[in-house]
Amino acid sequence: MSLLQSSHWPFLIDVYFFLGGLAGGAFVIATVANILNARRYRDVIRVGYYLSLAALIPCPLILIVDLGVPSRFLNMLMRFNIESPMSMGAWALLGFSACAFVAALLTFMEDIGRARDLSGPKLIVGVIGGAFGFFLAAYPGVLLGATARPLWIEGHALGAVFLAVGASTGAAAMALILMVVGRAADQVASVRTMTVAALVIQLIALAVFVGSVQSSGSVAATTALKLLTEGRFAALFWGGAIVVGSVLPLVLGVLDLRRRSFGLTAVTSLLVLVGGFLVKYVIMAAGQV
Amino acid sequence: MARTLAMFTDTSLCIGCRACQVACKQWNELGAEVPDWTGTYQNHTHFTDKTFRLVRFIEEPGGKPNGDLAWLLMSDVCKHCADAGCLNACPTGAIYRTEYGTVNINQDVCNGCRYCVSACPFGVVSFNEQTGTAKKCTFCNDRIHNGLGPACAKACPTESIQFGFRDELVAKAQKRVETLKAMGFKNAQLYGADSRGFLSGLNAFFLLMSKPAVYGLPDNPKLPQKNIVMDSLLSIGSALLVGIGALVAFRGRGNGKGV
Repeated sequence: MSLLQSSHWPFLIDVYFFLGGLAGGAFVIATVANILNARRYRDVIRVGYYLSLAALIPCPLILIVDLGVPSRFLNMLMRFNIESPMSMGAWALLGFSACAFVAALLTFMEDIGRARDLSGPKLIVGVIGGAFGFFLAAYPGVLLGATARPLWIEGHALGAVFLAVGASTGAAAMALILMVVGRAADQVASVRTMTVAALVIQLIALAVFVGSVQSSGSVAATTALKLLTEGRFAALFWGGAIVVGSVLPLVLGVLDLRRRSFGLTAVTSLLVLVGGFLVKYVIMAAGQV
Repeated sequence: MARTLAMFTDTSLCIGCRACQVACKQWNELGAEVPDWTGTYQNHTHFTDKTFRLVRFIEEPGGKPNGDLAWLLMSDVCKHCADAGCLNACPTGAIYRTEYGTVNINQDVCNGCRYCVSACPFGVVSFNEQTGTAKKCTFCNDRIHNGLGPACAKACPTESIQFGFRDELVAKAQKRVETLKAMGFKNAQLYGADSRGFLSGLNAFFLLMSKPAVYGLPDNPKLPQKNIVMDSLLSIGSALLVGIGALVAFRGRGNGKGV
């Protein structure tokens, strides 16, 4: 019998982890595109910055609503505690929000014709915001690792898993929007390549996580891991997060690199989004039981 | 900083009367709860937001020196760890260490994020739905600042719970273990007394009559924050890979028209 207690963070927090990761991933991808070729990837950059702001907006609201005393949400910003990933995450969310807002604003000013080319200022905001974006995508994993919950404390690389999922879901959402908007087929190809790369990293990070829990020698941790691999969450983990959500879109994505079909890209992107959410969902659910 | 205060719970003396549990409830005005049926006299299975002292009732087959079933009683409480996972985890600064070395939650600052609940290696911190804040043993902060010991220690009729300066209590506890070992209780051992041991020692430490695992206690509890450096490095590694992936994805299609 374990003495441990659980925070019982609800489903909404899974949604926050998903949206925060997606926002951070999309922002970083837009920034890299902006650095390499601002003119060629104009639509990628636009979609990336608009998307990251849109995905970010619900995030602070979700976090505030989840607090026991929502009116005290600002207490999170009264301390800078480097030992608490939650404290660092709150600051990163603040920093990223500012950057995401400015980046989207600059993009908007270009779009309405107020300025011809703002890729310079966007570059500065993009690099600073990109660092925050990476942090925002990864910190929930590090946060979970810094608890006493057996599955999370014994597993390493949760931050890496969350970051990779942020990148894959960010890229997939961008590809999907670019397809729907129906422009720039050549730009979509680059985003598709990005999705494939992120999926590979996601699978490697997941393997490292599962391997580290398995080899930890902790009975409580391996018992919790069994919930994922053969217990209550096995169908969602193997079927949802791994096969349908990671491996299948990886295969489809590799095929799509050659064929470039609209339908295939759309299906792949949707699978990546569902799979990325499920990865975070099952890790949260199995860790909190 | 004042001399570190401690509580020493000698489980060999516990008779399971639960006076400590009741005294704690009364002094801290914790109120009644719906009882759990645990199959033993123990109520509840876990610490709750209204139960800061909890007497555990444990049966260990073959636990006695003569091979009989041992009925182990243990009055459990917040350990007030010298390296406290909850305190490190707290993003608001609501959890703080007093000048006596005890760990407290400032109820006026806590905003109910519940991170400390998961971060406690002993499952002590609990969330109170009514106040929306985290709750745990305060080491009777009001009492110790007014020259009184904690209510539980005061109420204990067998001196199973002792209150005092940590160094003195540890010396006392070590002698007690030797006495019990001489009496044939081979598994008698201190838990958390060693300030060079896990979590840099517990300010509420225990004398156990069997292995920690029998009481459900972790043999070697780890500070949750020990993972942060490693996990952060792996995250940075993954970020570098994502960055390289992005460079490859967006450079390869430049058609020689790169900026």
